[in-house]
Amino acid sequence: MNVPTEPIGEDRQSFLDRVRVALGRTQTTTITEAVPPVDQFLMRLASAKDDLVAMFASRAAEVGMVVRKVLSDTLARDLVCLLREMAAEKVAIGSADRLARFGIDTALGVAGFQVVPWQEQPGFEVQYDLDVGITAVHAALAETGTLVCSSDAQSSRGLSLVPPCHVAVLRGSDILPDMIDYFESIEGTANTDLPSSQVFITGPSKTADIEGMLVTGVHGPASVYILLVTDA
Amino acid sequence: MTDGPASDAHQILFPQLPYDMTPRAKRATQDVRLQQFVNRATLQKDQGRRKALSHWFGDRAEPIRELAGQIKQHTLDHLDYYLGMFSDAATRAGAQVHYARDGEQANAICLDIARRYDCRLCVKSKSMVTEETQLVPRLEAIGCETVETDLGEFIIQLDRDAPSHIVTPMIHKDRVDTARAFERELGVAYTEDPDELTGIARQYLRQKYRRADLGISGANFLIAETGSVVLCTNEGNGRFCTSAPKVHVVYAGIEKLIPTLGHLSVLLKVLARSSTAQPLTCYTHIMTGPKRTYEPDGPEQMHIVLIDNGRTNVLQESTREMLRCIRCGACLNACPVYRKVGGHAYGAVYSGPVGAVLTPIFKGLANYPDLPHASSLCGACYEACPVKIDIPKQLIQLRAQMTHRKINKRGERLFFGLWGASLNHGLTYRIGGWMNRMLFRAKARIAGTLPGGDPYADHGWIDRLPGPIRGWTEQRDMPTPPRRSFRQWWKARDA
Repeated sequence: MNVPTEPIGEDRQSFLDRVRVALGRTQTTTITEAVPPVDQFLMRLASAKDDLVAMFASRAAEVGMVVRKVLSDTLARDLVCLLREMAAEKVAIGSADRLARFGIDTALGVAGFQVVPWQEQPGFEVQYDLDVGITAVHAALAETGTLVCSSDAQSSRGLSLVPPCHVAVLRGSDILPDMIDYFESIEGTANTDLPSSQVFITGPSKTADIEGMLVTGVHGPASVYILLVTDA
Repeated sequence: MTDGPASDAHQILFPQLPYDMTPRAKRATQDVRLQQFVNRATLQKDQGRRKALSHWFGDRAEPIRELAGQIKQHTLDHLDYYLGMFSDAATRAGAQVHYARDGEQANAICLDIARRYDCRLCVKSKSMVTEETQLVPRLEAIGCETVETDLGEFIIQLDRDAPSHIVTPMIHKDRVDTARAFERELGVAYTEDPDELTGIARQYLRQKYRRADLGISGANFLIAETGSVVLCTNEGNGRFCTSAPKVHVVYAGIEKLIPTLGHLSVLLKVLARSSTAQPLTCYTHIMTGPKRTYEPDGPEQMHIVLIDNGRTNVLQESTREMLRCIRCGACLNACPVYRKVGGHAYGAVYSGPVGAVLTPIFKGLANYPDLPHASSLCGACYEACPVKIDIPKQLIQLRAQMTHRKINKRGERLFFGLWGASLNHGLTYRIGGWMNRMLFRAKARIAGTLPGGDPYADHGWIDRLPGPIRGWTEQRDMPTPPRRSFRQWWKARDA
């Protein structure tokens, strides 16, 4: 698909030159004044001193996600219970590397759920028929009750989006206080090493377009369950 | 979907110029339904914003918006530098960056991409800049069916209507409009239930995502350091549009840049709280380049179109701060004029206070002479703005320009010319004052609203005046001037 590009728009230099002229400059700009620093004292809404698990759980609940605190030994059993409550049949597991230690695959198989091998087909196609997408999360923010789901070799962009229900497994130790901490944690990473997709998920898919009335599940999942593993 | 441009929608945002705001404003104020929706929705949003800001920020709210404004201003002050940095970083991450001087060029780039990859079905998430460039009809004209996927935009597209609010595009429509549009265009059974309507849209649009080969999105922020594109949505359609099709095209105005992901935290903290009173939108999506080879899904191609389309005109020093705007819609919700006239009365893509300034600069002051006056200068927009844009100052600046360039109304020039001249000389000032007293008292006497006799009761009122001040006096009474002028009283007091 590597078709050579013929520039149809303006060339970069004249585009930037026009911006420069509009700014009233004659020379290539270098930064002459300090970039405004992010004042942490001002901007921070949560810090490591807070009870992060409690804060995360209450904020996530406020935005409409369901949080269940679980232990790592019983996680697989709790997940089976949850899926049964939902009467789920077809499920898929993303970010398997992060979930391997919890023995979820086996437990779900034994319990009779159809675990769909979504990786075998590219794209979202197999995911449209799923009942539940199960994923690990890469981090969480206590400040806003937010899940951070990133793409990587084992994590689909789709499993937290396409099925009508998303079940996220979150380790308590992955909860960061504030969004500031998340960006600090990836600071200095070469952008080629960043995931192509990092999504902050703060609630189920929502709309209020029709007369301001809140409806969930418009394009993405109508429900998001978080199994919060407090001892991991 | 229609073939070619939907004429109604086109007319709404691209009216004949010079644009006269009065007819649409009048129609809107007489439209009971519109008054109810827009008033209720905007009041609710405005209150929500105030609550959210005081709940989360307390007395830090003011310094926080100061900082958010500084970050944007700093980036704009060095925009050429940051644009270059962004473009290098995005290219490194595997995206292709294009540059468009105007809307025509942006569309040409996008059409070329659509043709090159033989795209037949495009799913599009909400983007104001694509409204500016009128991208959708252009794509449809080359045989690429293009579907708006934001629920509000989808309904508007079905109804061949145009968005009237930057955040809640169908603020002027209700469930009945939606039900009728769905019944007519999608052939489903009539229902007014919002849950059912949403479900219908979900099913319909999922079929589109499955087949789409082109995804178009806007951008809320562009990160110079990492070349990332940030998209904030609630419904999840943005995530579908940017992940399901094999080609993703980003349409972004050059003012979307900020230096680093660290700065993004400041702007994200103010954006959703000011816009919909949420701590964050449900989905905040940071995209850096297309799908990596080892990732299981995502677009194979990512094209970023950086668009000027008049922004370099706004970049001059006196108006530069306007480009800080992060399109949260708080100024629309706070504006007493927007609440009465709605978005379509502004006759352009951007409505409300921010549109009243941007549109005349984008399209020429002489083409939109009413917009700088579509404000009572009450300052609610300035107070609401999370990046502290002094919109009232900008409006006054535009009004001053209209006077200097003599593009204000002739009657207005004549009136203020006479006014100025008479205030400049003692004699004319006194004659003017005398005439003022005589005329107004005579008017009150004839109308029977000037009680005589008792000197203390000698304060009548003027209840109605003709001509340009009729509207004003319909709702208000003005006291009659006293028998004697201040100067006469002062002289008598001295003696």
